[in-house]
Amino acid sequence: MAGDTSPLDHPVASRAVDLLRAEKTDALAGVTHHAGQALARVPLERLIEVLAFLRDHDELRFDHLSNLTAVHWPKNDKPFEIVYHLYSIPKRHRLTVKTAVAEGEAPPTATGLWPTANWHEREVFDLFGVRFEGHPDMTRILLTDEWVGHPLRKDYPLEGNPGDHVQYREVTTAEHVYNNDKAPLRGFGWRKEVEKTGLGRG
Amino acid sequence: MFRTEEMEINMGPQHPSTHGVLRLVLQLDGEEIKGVRPVIGYLHRGVEKLCEHRTYPMIEPLTDRLDYVAAVSENLGWCGAVEALLGVTPPPRAQYVRVVLAELQRIASHLLWLGTHALDLGAMTMFFYAFREREMILDLFESFCGARLTYNSMRIGGLYEDMPRGWIDRVRHFLKIFPGRMREYEDLLTVNRIFVGRTRGVGVLSAADAVAWGVTGPPLRASGVNYDVRKAIPYAAYADLEFDVPVGEHGDTYDRYLVRMEEMRQSLRILHQALDRMPDGEVRAKVSKFIKPPAGEVYHVVESPRGEQGFYVVAQSGEMPYRVRFRSPSFVNLQALPLMCRGRLVADVTAIIGSIDIVLGDCDR
Repeated sequence: MAGDTSPLDHPVASRAVDLLRAEKTDALAGVTHHAGQALARVPLERLIEVLAFLRDHDELRFDHLSNLTAVHWPKNDKPFEIVYHLYSIPKRHRLTVKTAVAEGEAPPTATGLWPTANWHEREVFDLFGVRFEGHPDMTRILLTDEWVGHPLRKDYPLEGNPGDHVQYREVTTAEHVYNNDKAPLRGFGWRKEVEKTGLGRG
Repeated sequence: MFRTEEMEINMGPQHPSTHGVLRLVLQLDGEEIKGVRPVIGYLHRGVEKLCEHRTYPMIEPLTDRLDYVAAVSENLGWCGAVEALLGVTPPPRAQYVRVVLAELQRIASHLLWLGTHALDLGAMTMFFYAFREREMILDLFESFCGARLTYNSMRIGGLYEDMPRGWIDRVRHFLKIFPGRMREYEDLLTVNRIFVGRTRGVGVLSAADAVAWGVTGPPLRASGVNYDVRKAIPYAAYADLEFDVPVGEHGDTYDRYLVRMEEMRQSLRILHQALDRMPDGEVRAKVSKFIKPPAGEVYHVVESPRGEQGFYVVAQSGEMPYRVRFRSPSFVNLQALPLMCRGRLVADVTAIIGSIDIVLGDCDR
């Protein structure tokens, strides 16, 4: 089926990888190639430094963070892989960057480099439970605030009765309040006032 | 005794101009918008989790349901990603038919956007006109594969079936009619005083902001950045076809409108070329019935009508993917909404949401 035509393991020329090898030698934990795309592994401590280098270097200019996501490998020592798919609009090349994260460890946020990382990182937190250090608003995004657990972890069941594994917890109104832009919205304080009066209780 | 304070109001999740179940929490100072907080997730169906226990071909119908008004782009991207994992290239005829489907879909999707966007701004006639032509395209799709929205007509390695007899002539008939209809739309909107007044200078997004916030598709190009996946990383048969990428300069709602109108014209150009050069031969490469890609991963992007649609697939040995992520343009583009709305009036929010052209099924997955 795939056999000898598979381009999966063939190395591809990548200026980004060459430059990383030359200038960030000790920050490069390995390079692999998948389906014609280069992938660089970077230790967590050097991540932001390398990403900033990739974004700002004149020959690279990775200005577009196309995708940010995570993969869960429960058997690894560091079970989470955070994946950054970068693309350069002016230079027209791409690179994948990966870093491994241990359970409970908080990788640094990339929102300082690419603001678009904001929702991607919230989604990773929501579905994998990986918190990002320095993120302006580390709250759930797709699921409700009351949800317990992180569904894209491999130990989260794929099917079954909702009652068996889907749980909710009590959430205070304060948790619903948005805290971005240093100007918090007021939440829904009016609701208490309405409930006191008993209005609308048919 | 008297004081002023900012007010917070909810728009949606059930609101006609949010085009789906999107909730916006608006922070207002009088009529002026101080902040917008989009609340999403109402349509989250856990598709990525579902994919982890479906075989590769079984996932294709799921992708139909992500961006349900542009299902062809989703099918195309999914099949392209798995083909890259397998190292399979579909035969040329399949590639060309895929382009024809994708461009018809782009026109249909832009027509849906055009009709509803104009309707939001009070131009009701436009809605009927746009849906009249969209109906013609949906009829073409129906005669191609039997479905009008969720086609599932592609297969990993090519297509399920070749085009039915006489179908090309029906597409050509549509291509003949459509340019005249486009002139009708332009007469109604492009120089319409009310429409221009509601859109020009509204929701400005600078090129630098657009790139930093990951915005792609027509909103990015309207801001003056020339990035179209069909040109940048060509897939299917796009490398052989000639077309221009329309680019705006002001980054406002009116430019986003102009960019999409021009894109429809460019799609017509692509369709003409693709039909003229349609190669003969098979429409499906030889692919085993049980698809088991070697361990590896791929990130495949296509240009959907809404922007860059990415498919990240991690394969371990087995019939099911280990991890799938859909990078949906609606999800990413919506992030820039607060930026575009700040300082504008409440009535402008409807215009701006319309001009981003989001589909919540795509956004929430």
